[in-house]
Amino acid sequence: MAERFDPWPEGIQPHVPIAGYPNTFSHTPSAPLIHRPATRTERAAPARLSQKLLCGDDNLAVIAPGRIAQGQLIHISGRVLDEDGRGVPHAVVELWQANAGGRYRHPIDTRDAPLDPDFIGNGRVLTDAAGRYGFFTIRPGAYPVPVPQTWWRPPHVHFSVLGPASLSRLVTQMYFPGDPLNALDRILQSVPDPAARARLVAAMVPPVEVGLGWLAYRFDIGLRGRAATPELL
Amino acid sequence: MLPSSEHTIGPFFPQTFFREGDNDLRRITADAAPSTRGETITIHGVVLKADGVACVNMVLEAWQADAAGRFNHEADPEAHLADPDFLGWGRAWTDAEGRYAFTTLLPGGYVEGNQTRAPHINLSIMGAGLMRIARTTLFFPQGDNAADPIFALVPAPLQGRLVAQPDGPGRYRFDIILHGGAETPFFQD
Ligand SMILES: [Fe+3]
Repeated sequence: MAERFDPWPEGIQPHVPIAGYPNTFSHTPSAPLIHRPATRTERAAPARLSQKLLCGDDNLAVIAPGRIAQGQLIHISGRVLDEDGRGVPHAVVELWQANAGGRYRHPIDTRDAPLDPDFIGNGRVLTDAAGRYGFFTIRPGAYPVPVPQTWWRPPHVHFSVLGPASLSRLVTQMYFPGDPLNALDRILQSVPDPAARARLVAAMVPPVEVGLGWLAYRFDIGLRGRAATPELL
Repeated sequence: MLPSSEHTIGPFFPQTFFREGDNDLRRITADAAPSTRGETITIHGVVLKADGVACVNMVLEAWQADAAGRFNHEADPEAHLADPDFLGWGRAWTDAEGRYAFTTLLPGGYVEGNQTRAPHINLSIMGAGLMRIARTTLFFPQGDNAADPIFALVPAPLQGRLVAQPDGPGRYRFDIILHGGAETPFFQD
């Protein structure tokens, strides 16, 4: 179990509010955050959450036999790790993303880009005993942010992870290596430390482990907490 | 591995991720009968941003001890005595008027170390424009909040903003103001 939760190291958390992204001015609390120690409430988290949040939906690309989403088929896999580099077993991992045209299947995404009838765009899995997870999906398209000084979000995949402690709760995004929009993205670039930004960019891997049909990416996710999981045998 | 950076959950967190009963902390599964070991209560309110404007599609997560003040988690030395039918966790999202609601059991207080925790519910707020999870804690008017070590960290003039207001039998109102005027106090864990 988690023995220790160190403060966030410098440069990892996004610097807010973000110039050119008006919502960060209207939503970000203006008063300084109140520092509090990790009490029992923050160190604990729900047991067996996967019974409540049903897991096992790991294929966004094939909605039904023979119905395959449009776009570049990809496989994203990696490990959820604690700050000691140990796999976090039985973490709930949620993923959602835009389709290949850069549109979400969501009532408030009313942008004039096509919806793909064979792509819903979300899945949820549980990490295995070694903290591994994986999803079959498609490479999402870029989309513009509807603000006065608009910019384009690079292709990205949203992740939500529920781990062994409330303090390890994480919501983040994954980016694709080499995309020129990465350097222009106000959201990615709000992370001050270049190394921390680099950790949000997936790595391409040879597709041997998933076969020839899928372009494979590897994306490891770090959660707060040391000695947060039992030693692996 | 160093922790990954937080990012906004964005405006498009899938509504299909929400299922009936997700905002009911009393149920360990969607189909399970709610725990009855405690007093059922409703927590509701609105989430507002600057200038009192309602926040739509915000995602809220609630986490609390059971009615006897125990967590079914290794962090609690009395985890083996925790209510096995109570989850203590729920997720809700705000509607077009910024409203949310949770159903739960009134949490119990407990002793932690040499201090006494008053009954409380931890709330996490996520949404477009919030690059990091906003974390706050709801307390109850009947609790011994003055003795609570976390309540005591909040500047006295702001403490009342963390106390839910009675709003009918078994109902409490807790509005969350992200930015401006009567801004809710938030914590950095
Ligand atoms: Fe997005």
